[in-house]
Amino acid sequence: MSTAETQERRTPGLVPVAETMRTAERRPSSESGQSEPAGPPVRLASAFWRLLGSELGLTFRRPRNQVMLAVVACVPVLIGIALRIASADEAVGGLIGSVAGNSLMLTFASFSFLVLLLMPIAVSVVGGDSIAGEAGAGTLRYLLAAPAGRTRLLVVKYLNAVVFAYATTVVVALSALVTGLVLFPVGPVTLLSGSTISVAEGLLRILVTVGYVGAGMAALAAVAVALSTFTEVSIGAIAATMILVIVTQVLRAIPQLEAITPYLLPSWWTKFDAVLRSPVDFGSLGQGLLVFGAYILLFGSIAWARFSGKDITS
Amino acid sequence: MRRGTFVRWGVPIAAAAVIAGAMGAGPVIAAVSGDPVLPERTAQQLLADAAAATKDKAGPPPMSGTVQQTASLGLPALPDMGGASPLSLLSGSHEVKVWYGAGDKLRVAMPTQFDESNLIVNGDQIWYWDSGDNTATKIKMAKGAEKPHALPTPGPADVTPQQVAAKLLANADEHTAIRVTNNAQVAGRAAYQLVLAPKDEGSLVQEVRLALDGETYMPLQVQVFAKGSAEPAFQVGFTQVTFTPPAEENFSFTPPAGAKVKEETIGAGGDAEHAEQQAESAKEARKDTKVVGAGWTRVAVLPATLADLTAKPAETPSDGKPGSHWKGGSEGADPSALVQNVLKTATPVSGTWGSGKLIKTKLVTALLTDDGRLLVGAVTPEEITKAAGTK
Repeated sequence: MSTAETQERRTPGLVPVAETMRTAERRPSSESGQSEPAGPPVRLASAFWRLLGSELGLTFRRPRNQVMLAVVACVPVLIGIALRIASADEAVGGLIGSVAGNSLMLTFASFSFLVLLLMPIAVSVVGGDSIAGEAGAGTLRYLLAAPAGRTRLLVVKYLNAVVFAYATTVVVALSALVTGLVLFPVGPVTLLSGSTISVAEGLLRILVTVGYVGAGMAALAAVAVALSTFTEVSIGAIAATMILVIVTQVLRAIPQLEAITPYLLPSWWTKFDAVLRSPVDFGSLGQGLLVFGAYILLFGSIAWARFSGKDITS
Repeated sequence: MRRGTFVRWGVPIAAAAVIAGAMGAGPVIAAVSGDPVLPERTAQQLLADAAAATKDKAGPPPMSGTVQQTASLGLPALPDMGGASPLSLLSGSHEVKVWYGAGDKLRVAMPTQFDESNLIVNGDQIWYWDSGDNTATKIKMAKGAEKPHALPTPGPADVTPQQVAAKLLANADEHTAIRVTNNAQVAGRAAYQLVLAPKDEGSLVQEVRLALDGETYMPLQVQVFAKGSAEPAFQVGFTQVTFTPPAEENFSFTPPAGAKVKEETIGAGGDAEHAEQQAESAKEARKDTKVVGAGWTRVAVLPATLADLTAKPAETPSDGKPGSHWKGGSEGADPSALVQNVLKTATPVSGTWGSGKLIKTKLVTALLTDDGRLLVGAVTPEEITKAAGTK
């Protein structure tokens, strides 16, 4: 409020157009909402899904996002080709080595690389752009002029980022799966524990991995959306999210700070390796999902507290 | 507006409080519901029960669980040795999964990021699987060797609380003040806690706490507290345990296609040369090893020179870890690197007994004298120099 007042005083010639809480939360029932008698829930729900649909359309039609998905899809292909060439020379151990023996393992190997940096970049671009991008382009107040409400807009923006996070995960999995099937033999999958499972069960475990990694990316999207509500420059929110990811990765690498690693988000992204054990370590996966849920709750509420009380000046 | 802002920001603060509460709920609930649910026992009764349970070769009940081992011995930072190296157990925190079926079925898995090593014992079939180098090793016990539980060289299996507890129980004698509490909670189970405190002033050990399950008397946790620290210097315990027979497939292992398969024999036979040599050198070392003092202030004196330690440290009995055995030569460099690293922090000391280098950690003091003796004990530096004086 105070900033809006000072801005008014500094620019006396301009008509203050700042959209504040009072104007935002007012339902425009008299002017434009003559066809909306006191908000029947069905109408509201359909408006919500329409808004989400248009957001998703905008996100996935955007060339920038399409290029990011394409880049993410290329990496498993590159890893597959590199491993195909390398495996001819010398036997390598571990997860990477097992790719040469089985096509499905390429999916897990690709996730183990991409989950560290490239997928978080893609997700934080969309998440960080969500609110700040609209504010920067000056379209936020038009969005809020529609009878949508700030909370609903925030939820739509977050769900949009979550869908993109899952899309990124699915693109990686599909690309790795196709590359693996082309380049490597199909057969029973050897787990990290040394036992083997059938191809069908391997595919099922890939599905579990997609669900888990997608949830991890959704947690990062919550952080990105929360940071996005603090600025009008979308690159600021995107960079801040990326810096957070990189700093936590560095902290994770310092052995003396082992005590704090369970609280860091990236520590849990790689825990999808639980599906490669026998029996599947559902305890570890469940704990990871709880951590993701805690991040979504905390940063979602921060985003809401900031966005619902923000003076929209652009 | 102001009030609204406060209310609004109350939501994330409440969310943070809920999350913090959920994280801290476990111990709090345990503390609140931690009324003594177990009947009172004297130390003697409990020791007898525990001893009976350990001696009983029918063994502990079938179970599975997660064992966490934490060591903060105050050693200097160890060189990174990779997750699977047993030497890495000396610092930091490690998790091991244990499945124990009836009789001689045991699986111990050590999961690390994108890797896992497994020791699977099923009757006379013993497999060691390491996903890191894609190798399955079939371990054969020579005839006349002990039961699989008691491998000649202690393996990762040795970090289960049972074995550690058995060793500690052997130490309980007149040098120790023993008391029992009956309201401990370990892995969500009510447990007796046997607290062994050394009576001797010269010991670095404050107390050893041994948690025994209230129902099965199985040791669930062992904690060693050093003098003057609230956190245990060494801890092995279950973080999760269930006393139901684990699935049979845990104990069956067939080397996966494409894996390297090796065979090794422990005790005698096929790979005998190496094993025999090791046993011989161990025997020799044992002959030369003297023990000075009694009870908790016992100090082991072994012949060792600086050159010995840095050149072939794997042969000193104090090393005791089986790295070289299972992993071939690949881990050979690690112990010497460790010793060199540790020696860097040593302080030179001298006295009427001569001079040497003193290495002090929270629990263990070691003195490497210039006349070629290595003294190791869980005692204060004063005690160890006293022991160095008694030839």
